[in-house]
This record gives sequence, structure tokens and C-alpha cells, in this order.
Amino acid sequence: MAALRDQLVSFIAALRAAGVRISVAESIDAMNAVAAVGLERARMHEALAAALIKDEADRAIFDESFNRFFAAPRANRGEHPDQRGEQVSAASGRGRPGEQPSPRDAALASPRDEKSLSLPSEAKPAKKVAAARRQDTEKGKDAEQGKDAERLSDRMRGRRERGEAQTREESPTPGIDATRVARIRAIERTAFDKFSDLDYDEARDALAPLIRRFRIRLGRRLRLARTGRIDFRRTIRAALQRGGALIDLNFRARRPRHVDLVILADISGSVRYAAQLMLELMAGARGCFRRVSSFVYVDHLAEADFEDGHLVMTPALDLYARSDFGRVLGELWERRTGLLTRGAIVVIMGDGRNNRLPARADLVREIVRACRAVVWLNPEDPARWGTGDSAIKQYAREVNALVPSRNLRELQVALAAIA
Amino acid sequence: MLTREQISDGLKRARYVTNERVETAIFLALALEKPLLIEGPAGAGKTEVAKVLAEMLHTELIRLQCYEGLDEARALYEWNYQKQLLRMQAGEQQGLRWEELSEHIFSRDYLLERPLLKAITAPSRVVLLIDEVDKADEEFEAFLLELLSDFQISVPELGTLKAHERPVVILTSNRARELSEALRRRCLYLFIDFPGIEQERKIIELKVPELDAKLAAEAAGFVSAIRKLGLRKPPSIAETLDWARALVRLGVRELDTDAVRTALGVLLKHEEDRVKVESKASALAPRRR
Repeated sequence: MAALRDQLVSFIAALRAAGVRISVAESIDAMNAVAAVGLERARMHEALAAALIKDEADRAIFDESFNRFFAAPRANRGEHPDQRGEQVSAASGRGRPGEQPSPRDAALASPRDEKSLSLPSEAKPAKKVAAARRQDTEKGKDAEQGKDAERLSDRMRGRRERGEAQTREESPTPGIDATRVARIRAIERTAFDKFSDLDYDEARDALAPLIRRFRIRLGRRLRLARTGRIDFRRTIRAALQRGGALIDLNFRARRPRHVDLVILADISGSVRYAAQLMLELMAGARGCFRRVSSFVYVDHLAEADFEDGHLVMTPALDLYARSDFGRVLGELWERRTGLLTRGAIVVIMGDGRNNRLPARADLVREIVRACRAVVWLNPEDPARWGTGDSAIKQYAREVNALVPSRNLRELQVALAAIA
Repeated sequence: MLTREQISDGLKRARYVTNERVETAIFLALALEKPLLIEGPAGAGKTEVAKVLAEMLHTELIRLQCYEGLDEARALYEWNYQKQLLRMQAGEQQGLRWEELSEHIFSRDYLLERPLLKAITAPSRVVLLIDEVDKADEEFEAFLLELLSDFQISVPELGTLKAHERPVVILTSNRARELSEALRRRCLYLFIDFPGIEQERKIIELKVPELDAKLAAEAAGFVSAIRKLGLRKPPSIAETLDWARALVRLGVRELDTDAVRTALGVLLKHEEDRVKVESKASALAPRRR
């Protein structure tokens, strides 16, 4: 049995390496699960899945790893599943996966092979996006490894084609929902500067649940606080039920907070995806604020609005102009009456790359003084802040907070913290 | 202790058509005494699992329907204020001292048991269904953690109540929001998708035996096809069954374009879905005019 335990442990390690989060408790569950259902292949497959995989999005990775680790003996591939199952159980029962060189040994032969688990050639379409990204970030590492990966992926492809027939018959429908969730997760973690138009469309799709989540989060914070003024009438009414004892205190509903939001988003080439997604996210949460005014800018300021999911700006801006935030600040300052008030939070989204034009950080200081807070969201990698024509360091001294928001996830966290 | 085969038989006897995945997950939930978290699209039969399980185990099903704002008083227990007040008034007349009185009024007799407490204190094993846990607030989810890992509840006035027999816990979620990792870790996981054509045909034949076998197969194929159209609300299994019954009542003998059109309202609950399917009805109907 010890051999099987080892095999399960390395199976779990491989899943972890492929990005599935598995706790120690869950791996113990997995052992118990196998002990409970026995070694029949299909059953063991489902039992391990129930114990280890807590998100259908991870199921594809699991299936593939399972097929690799607990492969059916070669002679029986493609035969009736039941028969095949028995064969495996017999093989594993001996504690040695049989005469043929087991794929597991191959997989553990070198650390590189182990790593290959997370390479795109391994991932199913659902995870492809995520995997491709991961590769993207590792791209620069070294060419030699790349070649290795290529060779590996060739080998894996062969193996996958062999395994594919099995997978298909075992899991009839991978689930539309699951692929979607996997995609949303991947896109949430994609850095904005790596976005393509395609990614942007995908992110727009993913935005709906995010908006809902965001709104709930904002709404709940308002609802939760059980303090404030007591609603006398309702309290007395409730007390009547209890023979006049004031047991339940009822509070007046809190009025929506007096927060005006002024959003200023750079839609020039470098950060436009981030800006548009943020505007759309905030447009969805409009009800949680007293007033939301959104502006976009490149070299001028323009009012922005969302109609049917399209960004509408008045007047239209030249997207390819040289961004000039200094001038934009000037324009904003001129319109300050009724806009930049004590109740207003100003959210600026941009990379602060000002083409070496005057930064006008002094105006930011004025705005900070006039408003409740000024928060700057920067979609750029913090390592690159202040390099080249970036004037972010100058602005950073003035604003109340400077938050990196490189991807949708960070953006959400940052926005929720503001609100 | 049930064996894996007994589960299969039991499910069959309870007339629940299922597959290896579902059976294994149910078996493990019983064998390892762990809660089972079931996810999947609405109407794929998640809640049904709990009902069938209760039927199979010949025990009671205790159901907690979650919603936004669900709190402990609704889910766990509440003191019966009215009864306490009456007792106090009666006590005053008898001239009881407060110490004696308070011992009385904070006893089990004055406790209103809500689903969770009921499941914990039940004398025999019950099935506890926590339905649509994704609708409840995160705070409630955190509160569930204690219950799910130790099957015990602390009531300040009474101390800790521990389950005599661990209930079988089934949680369902529609993914209205992501559940916390902590909750997922404590549960076994099962994803139930819409059944395949073959499985749905079996379900129709089992539940609507009056429908002609050939027609049942066609109906299953049609429903499975329209689920792929990306509708606002794809038809659930229950709706498929209603539709099958409607076809019987309407005396439909052949599933052609007209037959499909007449009873579409049973299957689709949104106008835009109906328009979408109708425009494609001729292509989707198994037999054309």
C-alpha cells in the first residue's frame, strides 16, 4: 500500500505544480477516499476528483494528470472501460504499475518534465489562455529551455492524442460553466499592458459578475453597520410583540453616503484598456454614490459615459495625440465649482507619462486640498514608475494614495478600498 | 454503512438517474462523513440529490434555504421571547426569585430550533440541505465553518451542543459569487452539469412513462440542442419533464416544427429566448414538415 500512497503523494504534488490549490487536509481526504472506494480505475478517478478538485475549472487539469499518472496498461487502451479499470487495479495492487515503463516514472525522471506540467502544450483549451500567459512572463528566461519545452510538447502531444479518446468517454461534458470560469480567472490576472483587443472583449464579458460582486461589496458595507439613529416607531412596534420590552432596537435606514466620485481616466494608447474597464466597472456601481462624474483625457478633458456598453465621450478626443496631463489638470481646475467639493473623491487612472510636458503637480496639491481624497491608480508595473517620461513620482508626493492596478483583480481591490 | 453498490441500487430505487461521478461523490460523503458541495447550472438536479438521499436513507430532510441577509437567528436558533415573558409573569405571581426563573427560561424548552440546530440535535442521522449557499453573506459562510468541521454549535446560555449522529450535509451553489477557499476545503466537491441526451432520455422515460419512447428520445435531443444556443435561461430538467408532460397532454405524435412551437412556453421563460429558438425551430426540430 505504501507504493500507492507514494504515487498519490506525487500525483498531488503534480497537481499543485499545475496550479491547483490542495491543502494537507484535502490530501488526507483523498487517501481516505481511495481507501473507501477501492482501486477500480473509474471510481478512483471520481473519488479523487471529489476530494481534491473544489472548482470545476480545475477539472480539466485533473483529468489530464490522472490519465498520465494512473494510465491504463498499454495493451488495453481503448477497450471497454470496465475491463480496463480492473486491469489497472490489478496492476496498482501489486504496488508496481506493471511491466511497461509507467508514464509516471517518465514524468518524474527529470525536474524539467515535472515543470512541463504547467506548459501550454499540456493545458486543455480552457486553461490555454492562462498557460499561455504564464509562458509569456517566462518568455525571456532562456532560449535553451524553450527548445526543451518544444521537444517536450511534441512528446506530450503524442501522448495527449492517445489519452484523448479515453478522456472523452470518461467525462462526457466538461461543462460550459467551467470553461467560462477558468477564462474569467485567467483574464482577471492578465496584466493590462499585455492586453489585445481580443482580451479586452473577453474581459468585458467577465465584467458582469465582477460588477455584481463589486456592487454587493459596496452595498453590504452600507447595510452592515447597525448603528445610527433609532427608529422610534418601528422599535415600539416590535416591542409590542414582546409585551412592551425593548428587546429589538430598530435603526433608521442609513442614507446613502455623501460621496461624489470624480473619475479621471487616461484613454491614450498605453493604458486605454485599463481605463475603459475601470469606467465600466464604476458605471455599474453608480448607485452606491451620490454622484459620479467620469472624465477621460488624452491631451484634453472630455466627459465620458457608458451607453449600451460603449464609451461615449463629449467632445471626442484624438486618441493618438500626445497625452498632456498638466493641461488636463488645468481644465479640471477651471471646472471645479460644484465638482471638486469636500465630499468628492477623485480617482485618477493613468500612467503619468506626460511626454516631458509640464506636470503641474502644484494643481494636484490644490485639488487634494479642495477634495476629500485623491487616489491615483497606475496600471503600470511599479518597477517602471518614474522611468523615462513618467512624472508619477512628482504626482505621488501630492496624492493621498498611489495604488498599482496592473490587472482586473488589483483594480477591483483598489476600487473597493476607495469606496 | 452502505457499500458503493448499495448506493447505486438505492439511487435507482429512488428513481434518480445518475452517473458514476455522482454516485461516487455521494458514497464518499457518507463514507468519510464530510459535507458535499454541489455546484452546477440552475435546474441540473443539485437539490434533488439531497432529497433522494434522504429518501434512500429513510430519514428526514432538513432544509435551510439561504438568502442575502440570512442570520444566525434564522438559521440556528432563537429564544422564544413570548414564551419566556409568559413564564416570567407566571413566575412573578408564584413569587419565584430571579435565579430560579432565569434557570428556567434559558433552557431548551424556550429555544426555537432553526434548521441547523435541528439537524445537530436530531436523535438519528438526518440529511441537512444548505441550499444556494452562494446567496448567503460571507459572514454566514464563515459561521458555517465551525459547524461543518466539528458538527457542533455553541449556544452561550446552554454551552456547546454536539451532534449525536453527524448529519449528512449537502451544500448547493449556483456560483452567484465565489465561495471561500476555507469552505471548499472542508467539503467534498461535485459538479453536476445538465445531463447528456442519453441520460435525459432515461429521466424522461422514468418520470413520464406515458410519452412514446421514440418521442422521448427526440425531446431529449431537442432540449439538449437548445441548451447549446446560449439562452438567457437554459431549460432545467424539471422544465424538460413539464414539457414532456405537455406533449403527452397535447397528444403530439411527432416532434415537428409546429409541435415544437406550440408548447415552447413550458420550456422557455424569457421572450428573447423564445424568439431565438423559434427562429431556429425548423432547423432544430427532429422531423421537418
